[in-house]
Amino acid sequence: MAAKDSPLKQFEIVPFSKTELGGYDISFTNSSLSMIITVAVITLFLTLTVKPRSLVPSRMQLVSELMYNFIANLLSDTVGDNGKKYFPFVFSLFMFVLIGNMVGMVPYQFTFTSHIIVTFALAAIVFIGTTILGFANHGIKFFSFFYIPGVPFYMHPLLIPIEVISYLSRPISLSVRLFANMLAGHTLLKVFAGFVVAMPFFTGVFPLVFIVALTGLEILIAFLQAYVFAILTCLYINDAYHLH
Amino acid sequence: MPQLNPEFFVTQLFWLVVTFSFLLVFLWRISLPRIGNVLEKRERKISEDLTTAKELQNEAEKIQETIESQLKQARTGASEMIKTSSLALHDKAQIELTKLDKELDAKIEQSSATIEKSKNESVSQIQNQINEITKLTLSKVAAFDVSDDEIKSAVKSSERSIN
Repeated sequence: MAAKDSPLKQFEIVPFSKTELGGYDISFTNSSLSMIITVAVITLFLTLTVKPRSLVPSRMQLVSELMYNFIANLLSDTVGDNGKKYFPFVFSLFMFVLIGNMVGMVPYQFTFTSHIIVTFALAAIVFIGTTILGFANHGIKFFSFFYIPGVPFYMHPLLIPIEVISYLSRPISLSVRLFANMLAGHTLLKVFAGFVVAMPFFTGVFPLVFIVALTGLEILIAFLQAYVFAILTCLYINDAYHLH
Repeated sequence: MPQLNPEFFVTQLFWLVVTFSFLLVFLWRISLPRIGNVLEKRERKISEDLTTAKELQNEAEKIQETIESQLKQARTGASEMIKTSSLALHDKAQIELTKLDKELDAKIEQSSATIEKSKNESVSQIQNQINEITKLTLSKVAAFDVSDDEIKSAVKSSERSIN
């Protein structure tokens, strides 16, 4: 199989034009394009469907309201009343990841959530934000987050480093989870697509059927990963308010 | 793996920041308040409708109560009316009856008086006839006249002895 047919070729970034700002390369690429498509889809959908603002919603308005309520309930269930302030952020994050994943499911579209740098940046925003929030709420007492009450004292030298490491690995696990899921799913689809072409006669139908089934699974994963990203963000916000 | 190529890290981060901050501000300032308003408006409308419905129900219950109390009142009124009118009728009947009794008594007395009178009359007639018969008999048998007074006293004395 030639290098240009590699299943990983879909993740290559193609700049449309060369642009620099202060010595940094900020070229408009296929990744940027799919981010803009994602944002356009979200904003247009949420604006146009709710335009009539009818008391008895149309189907599409109902979809927007359901998404609103979904995240609002998620936030109030995990964080409580404190969570209302972060609703726009969590909602934006959820929609950005969800629609980014979904846009990536469209053939020939680039999936920006399959790039570790993008998911890590999103996770870093969450991590840094919740850490600042924790210190703002509790001051220096926020360090007691690493101290588990009710544990024998001689266990603390072992447990505190573990807690610190698990806290610091939050952005990594959060970003790698999304990135790896997207990477694996899309690679798998491309591998089976390669089989369709490579297999002789009509036997290529079998991998094709498999691709159809996998596409359904990928759509589920696209939703699931966005949900996981949102709910973990909510949990981290909750941790910044309640120390154990 | 293209993901690990740092050549495009900066541009990806740049466009991520641009698009995501636009999305965040847009949703925060425009979309979410709109949806929130619609939801709030709906909730308010529903709760208002519910309170109106409850008020109407209360009103209906009140009306029902008035109807029932009025019915009850009407029923008691009717039974009272029946009672009083039956009592009044009874009294009236009693009065009529006593009146009738009196009338009847008076009539009985009157008729008994009449009977007594006619009896006395017939008794005195009988007496006269007895006297006359006696006078006749004496005149025919003994051929002597006796005065009426003598005969009367004689009859009376014989009556007395008989009696």
